[in-house]
Amino acid sequence: MDTTTVPRTARPSPRALTLLAVGVTALALTAAAATPLNPAPRQARADGQRTLTVAVSQSVDSLSPFLAQRLVSTTVHRLIYENLTNYDAKDNHAIPGLATKWEPSPDKLTWTYTIRENSRWSDGKQATAEDAAWTFNTMMTDEGAATANGSFVANFKKVTAPSPTKLVIELKKPQATMAALDVPILPRHEWEKVGDYAKFNNDKKFPVVGNGPFILTDYKVDQYVKFKPNRKFWRGAPKFDELVLKYYKDGDAAVAALQKGEVSFASNLTPAQAASLAKAKNIKVNDAPGRRFYALATNPGARSKDGKKFGDGHPALLNPKVRQALFAATDRKTIIDKVFQGHAVEGQGYIPPRFSAYHWKPDADQRIAYDPARAAALLDEAGYKKNKAGKRVGKDGRPLDFRILCHATDPNDKAIGKYMQEWWGDLGIGLKVECLDNVSDPWLAGEYDLAFDGWSVNPDPDFVLSIHTCAALPSTPKDTGATDNFICDKKFDELYAKQTAEYDAAKRADLVKQMQSRLYDTGYMNVMAYPNAVEAYRTDQIRAITTMPESGGNLWGQDGYWSWWSAVPAEVDDTSGGNGSSTGLVIGIVTTVVLAAGLVVFVAMRRRSTAEDRE
Amino acid sequence: MTVPSTAAQTASSLAWARRRGSVARFWRAYRTHRAGLFGLGALAVIALVALAAPLLVGSDVQSVTNAPGAALESPSGAFPLGTDQFGRSLLGLLIWGARISLTVGLMAAALSVAIGTLVGILAGHFGGWFSTVTMRITDWFLVMPTLVLAIVLATVMSRSVWTVILAIGVTSWPTTARLVRAQTLAVESRPYIERATALGGGHGHIMSRHVLPNVMPLVLAQTTLGISNAILTEATLAFLGLGDPDVVSWGGMLQDAREAGAVSSGHWWYLAPPGIAIAVVALAFTLCGRAVESVLNPKLGVSAR
Repeated sequence: MDTTTVPRTARPSPRALTLLAVGVTALALTAAAATPLNPAPRQARADGQRTLTVAVSQSVDSLSPFLAQRLVSTTVHRLIYENLTNYDAKDNHAIPGLATKWEPSPDKLTWTYTIRENSRWSDGKQATAEDAAWTFNTMMTDEGAATANGSFVANFKKVTAPSPTKLVIELKKPQATMAALDVPILPRHEWEKVGDYAKFNNDKKFPVVGNGPFILTDYKVDQYVKFKPNRKFWRGAPKFDELVLKYYKDGDAAVAALQKGEVSFASNLTPAQAASLAKAKNIKVNDAPGRRFYALATNPGARSKDGKKFGDGHPALLNPKVRQALFAATDRKTIIDKVFQGHAVEGQGYIPPRFSAYHWKPDADQRIAYDPARAAALLDEAGYKKNKAGKRVGKDGRPLDFRILCHATDPNDKAIGKYMQEWWGDLGIGLKVECLDNVSDPWLAGEYDLAFDGWSVNPDPDFVLSIHTCAALPSTPKDTGATDNFICDKKFDELYAKQTAEYDAAKRADLVKQMQSRLYDTGYMNVMAYPNAVEAYRTDQIRAITTMPESGGNLWGQDGYWSWWSAVPAEVDDTSGGNGSSTGLVIGIVTTVVLAAGLVVFVAMRRRSTAEDRE
Repeated sequence: MTVPSTAAQTASSLAWARRRGSVARFWRAYRTHRAGLFGLGALAVIALVALAAPLLVGSDVQSVTNAPGAALESPSGAFPLGTDQFGRSLLGLLIWGARISLTVGLMAAALSVAIGTLVGILAGHFGGWFSTVTMRITDWFLVMPTLVLAIVLATVMSRSVWTVILAIGVTSWPTTARLVRAQTLAVESRPYIERATALGGGHGHIMSRHVLPNVMPLVLAQTTLGISNAILTEATLAFLGLGDPDVVSWGGMLQDAREAGAVSSGHWWYLAPPGIAIAVVALAFTLCGRAVESVLNPKLGVSAR
């Protein structure tokens, strides 16, 4: 540090002098930096590019639509590819996507789709019925390609493209989801060359050829996903010049970035963050009913289609009474009040109330209410009595000590785990909360007893129901199936087959409700809550954005590309341009100065103490 | 040491008198270090609070189902440091957390110093190829970033307090080993060791009766200094989510604060107390350690007195 800047009049001790100099310099620098440190939104860059930056935390599992199951990946696919049909932002009804029109034959076994002529792949080639037919045929013939969305094509007999604008799908049995096939259509000329669809992750060659409203231009694992708008998109080009999904593995960092204007949007806010952001200027908090359910899953004994059992789930969980007792000893109301602090709705059936047509509620005598006394009675009945130490032990001498898989990235998992430990501990049940960054490995291997589970539900419930059917189990213990939790229940499967084949909306809804009732009774998936989508965006960067449903809906993870496609940039009045780079520089300088100051103080103290020692 | 065995009574009473004398001498020297006294005072207060925690706050303070307050209340009369996201009193948690932080700090430092002393004495005593091999292993541990190694260990093993103690203990011993080896070499070059060997003293006897007492002061100073490091590492591991999720520790509190979004929502009273507590304890141990070191370390001590 340059101590010379301080006038040496009173001859202070060298240490005090150094400290003073450091303090003054640091202060001066920080003061000078104050303006650029808190800049107006840094949306506009010198070249007039308007970037929409979205903070995300979930890792991409795969960029191949054949494999991707996570919300962030399917959101990316909605942006870069088109499905045959899309969901209306207002009320979720099916509207044209790549197909402009769809018609069943009188026997409802042959569906004819008219493919639009004004959709082009980003490399200039026309998107045709041929591409769609190829996509479906590949999923029907290649098991790897059926990993994520195989349930949609399991009932397809034949898919052909008699002309570039006509796609014909023949079915084995009637299928209700024909206007809700959530399958991205891929460019045949790009994907034909791919060898093994089970291994190809579509993340080697950029930009990725697509025909959605955005074009994926770059991706770095857990760092960013970048998009350019597709200027020729048939529904109209997006209004921002760039879309970036930027990774913030820490929620607090994402919120800090939002406060500073480095990102335009952040989701998954904690109640405290939502409350403090609601008071902030230029930030709008969106607290909407979510499309997710949040459940307690129990391991029903992991197995594969070939009948092999694997994993090490606790055998006591095979007893339905134990599963019911666990749920009866889980106070959902406290979870809503204390953990979600009101930003959620108490769980009932499998499908969230937002999808009112399919939402189901158990009636009074079916409902497993919070009742620790009943839970204790159920456990006694099941043969798990308390021993002298107060632990419940089965006839085989094995105590009821469970493990629960928790996502280390989701604070709610950990918090609810704490409550469960106490509720269940009172009953004599031990619980070990295993929070992991990557829960997939033990999960797929069936090495868990209980797990915190959640899925985003589509307007058409077929997919989230299909993941609990026997057909979704992995073929062998080594494979990965579409199954969520290794559930395989005959009655559930029968109902699933019926609802798939039911074209009458009311009757189908009734079947879907019966399925939920069955799932509720088995106790494999106990829905605790429907968390709200608590998210926030900067109004000085995004002037308008479409929620889904339009009134009181969410923004991140919609059933469509509406939010990011519709986002309108705020008027740019930032004339000082080029702030971005200078801010980084200033932050760098300030950090260096502070670090140097610390070092000098440290050295000064060291020297002083050793000098003292030597005297 | 050369007293005949027939006079055992006198020998032991002599030894005791000598020990009393050296403790008194140590204390007189220690008293002159004002910073050391401050550190000792702070430690005494914190240790007292930690020991009396069951009386002061009770283990009920950890319970989420019986939490008395609302979520993230600001400091008030009922909750002097406010509440966490479960409505638990942060002051209670801070006091309760002191137990874990201190226990882990002490035990990890003890483990690390024990390993270091053993390796150091063995390497210094036997010398030759054995010393070369052990010292190369020590070097390897020395250049490995301690925190990274501890993170790897804590990730691989199951989440518990013992894992954290082990992870810190087995990663931070190399400095002690090197110091102790140097001191062992210095001690063993003295003539009385040669005499003891001539009188029939074996390896074990030399190492435990002659070398160990002479490296003990160094070990003591090293332990005191090591504790503050261990406490900081424990807090770091807990903050990174690698601690035992079932116990309350200061690092764990910081992690909880982060998860509740306390940083970005400006709930400073959640973050500051555990952070300050960690800093104070680490500082107190460092002050004590430095004072002890300057009293006992022959290299620093001779010129100081």
